[in-house]
Amino acid sequence: MLLAVFLLNANAQDQTTGNKQPVSLHGTVQSDVLIPQNDHDIGAEKTDDVLTNTYVDLQLQSQYVDVGVRMEYLEHPLPGFERDFEGWGVPHFWVKGRLGCAELTAGTFYEQFGSGLILRTYEERSLGIDNSLLGGRLVLKPTKGVTIKALSGRQRRYWSWNKGLVSGADAEVALNEWIPSLGNSGTELMLGVSWVNKYEKQEDIFVDATHKLNLPEFVNAWDVRATLNKGPWSLLAEYAQKTQDPSFDNQYSYERGTTALFSGSYSKKGLSLLLQAKRSENMSFRSRRSMIGTSSFINHLPPFTQSHTYALAVLYPYATQLASGEWAWQAEAGYNFKRKTALGGKYGMNVKVNFSHVRWEGTTFYQDLDVVLTRKLTQDFKLLLMYMNQRYNKTVVEGEGGMVCSNIFIADGKYQFSPKVILRTELQYLATSDDQGDWAYGLVELSLAPHWMLSASDTYNVGETHLHYYQGGVTFSTGAHRLQVGYGRTRAGYNCSGGVCRYVPANKGFTMSYNYNF
Amino acid sequence: MRKLHFLLFTLMLFTACSHINEGERLIYVKPANVSRRVLLEDFTGQRCVNCPKGTAIIEQLLEEYGDAVIAVGIHGGPLGFKGNTKMIGLATDIGDEYYNHWQLEYQPVGLIDRHGAVNYTDWTKAVKDELAKVAPLNIMVEADVSGDDIHITVTATGTDGNTNGKLQVWLLEDGISALQTMPDGTTNRDYVHNHVLRTPVNGTWGEDISIGSDETKTFSMQQAVDAQWDTTQLSIVAFVYNDDGVMQAAKVKVINNIQQ
Repeated sequence: MLLAVFLLNANAQDQTTGNKQPVSLHGTVQSDVLIPQNDHDIGAEKTDDVLTNTYVDLQLQSQYVDVGVRMEYLEHPLPGFERDFEGWGVPHFWVKGRLGCAELTAGTFYEQFGSGLILRTYEERSLGIDNSLLGGRLVLKPTKGVTIKALSGRQRRYWSWNKGLVSGADAEVALNEWIPSLGNSGTELMLGVSWVNKYEKQEDIFVDATHKLNLPEFVNAWDVRATLNKGPWSLLAEYAQKTQDPSFDNQYSYERGTTALFSGSYSKKGLSLLLQAKRSENMSFRSRRSMIGTSSFINHLPPFTQSHTYALAVLYPYATQLASGEWAWQAEAGYNFKRKTALGGKYGMNVKVNFSHVRWEGTTFYQDLDVVLTRKLTQDFKLLLMYMNQRYNKTVVEGEGGMVCSNIFIADGKYQFSPKVILRTELQYLATSDDQGDWAYGLVELSLAPHWMLSASDTYNVGETHLHYYQGGVTFSTGAHRLQVGYGRTRAGYNCSGGVCRYVPANKGFTMSYNYNF
Repeated sequence: MRKLHFLLFTLMLFTACSHINEGERLIYVKPANVSRRVLLEDFTGQRCVNCPKGTAIIEQLLEEYGDAVIAVGIHGGPLGFKGNTKMIGLATDIGDEYYNHWQLEYQPVGLIDRHGAVNYTDWTKAVKDELAKVAPLNIMVEADVSGDDIHITVTATGTDGNTNGKLQVWLLEDGISALQTMPDGTTNRDYVHNHVLRTPVNGTWGEDISIGSDETKTFSMQQAVDAQWDTTQLSIVAFVYNDDGVMQAAKVKVINNIQQ
């Protein structure tokens, strides 16, 4: 109904005023469905007949004003989300106006200051995260190279908004726009400064039967940063600090929080280097101090660990430890051996080496050394080989389990039968004497362009349970529509994105996933 | 320049006003006026690193309020341990059933008179609030063990209007030495577990009870002694509950008549 009103008004305005930019409607539909089944072997329970996470986004855009809404149907969600996640409604509604150098948003919005050390509100549907703010935001670009933002709002927590108020401001200056010698030499230098304030009233947190904490109602955080880009070089240095913020996460400590990070990269044709380091302590920053779980975070720290995609490489994924603290280092190098050389062979070869290490106060949280070789062996066949050595502190990330040390071997082969037919296979093996022992994985995926893709896979626990987690699926794509149907088992484990993780219990059944963009 | 000074002053005001010095961080709160007994169901697990923190809060509450707080450790859920040939496990199927029934999502978590899940850092406040409420009935329990059975008598007397609900009777054991994962990640193999729920005496969800004001009803029941239990460490907890929560609770140590 609301949309219909918007549409009618917008069309009317378009016809009467004759705006140069016509009013347009855009949107996306995403629906993931599971028809669950019981499977006592893997511990899967049928909790409902049909489970679905369904989202419909609609945006009406015009020259000066944009309007958007998002409908969400999560009344019977997929397994593994927090109980408060359940519900349905229109939790997103916003109107954005632009005039000259100013842009004003009222309603719900997402924002990030710098790397997100003190403010990052974002949506990650696979994790059930949506910590948008409901309020107002003003963005000004008063002169070339200068961006100023100011915002205030209450944070979404599933189907309500937290009572605390989050406010902040951010300014970024691109000095190369002001200093001709920098601009002329192709140097981009940007300086940024941010401030975030959280207001939350007192609450009764007892330390013993007759004493409660005197809690700060205002928590302030600030961030300074500089980025420098010149030719193949790129550097980022950022520091953030937070005032006293006693919370469940930090066991109601009155210590301040700090984060410092440095990232440097070099990228030239055929060669890439990355070196970065981060130290953070007591940087969990939520709009509700007593909250647990994955909701209500105001900030987000980049993980500085390699983001893997292969099934066994993500069997033990690392989650950033915001509350305690961590030292994280990452180094990565990539090199393309040219074709028709001794190492490059007839078609060339790419080698990538990555090393990540995360620790705190003498304890290793996570370590990952991986080497990836990609080589085209014939005109039609491309092979990727990967070796990974991993140390995963299960106690730190999951609460129990000790250190899991593993060696992972992956082979990914892609054979092109014809321009439209590609067969891809994966073989993976994870060797460890810890936790549930060894795992094996196999995948066959047949692409029949432009519409079809068929896949079948099996994850097998060799070491302890001897259970098979088989999956089969068919994907059909046409235009802006994509439909995937499948059947299989999913093991219990953690699903992670950007260093944030969600536990997903074992499940089995028919799956369907539909996406549409317009 | 004047505008810049104003801006700096405003920023300083924000950052300065919230700092709390070390000597000002605690606020004294008078203990609750105890009007009834409160049931604290502690959903715990031997593989749960934060569960000893919950236990520490229970010990604080017991020290302050004594018998008015009745704590029950319900082992189960994802971090429960059911034992193996070498180590004692305290988790039970009944613990899992309760954990799932209340749709709990993490451990430790508590139910304070069954008014919804409460994070352990909020137990003290929830118990304090609950202690001040007036109960509509009184419960007395007697229990003694002789032979292979524990004989239990529960007497309920209505004090304020009619009460309809369920009478639940549980058997608890103290002083069980068994492993526990500690908050620093280490494992304590000789951790002493107290008030551990061993078994419900009258079914998973108890039996019907309906009692009017000034009315007294008596319930008698027996529980067979399991060979693994130390009969000198057993207690009986009885409570009456309905959809509005727990109305009243009582706890008594089982008198051991067995000749040692």
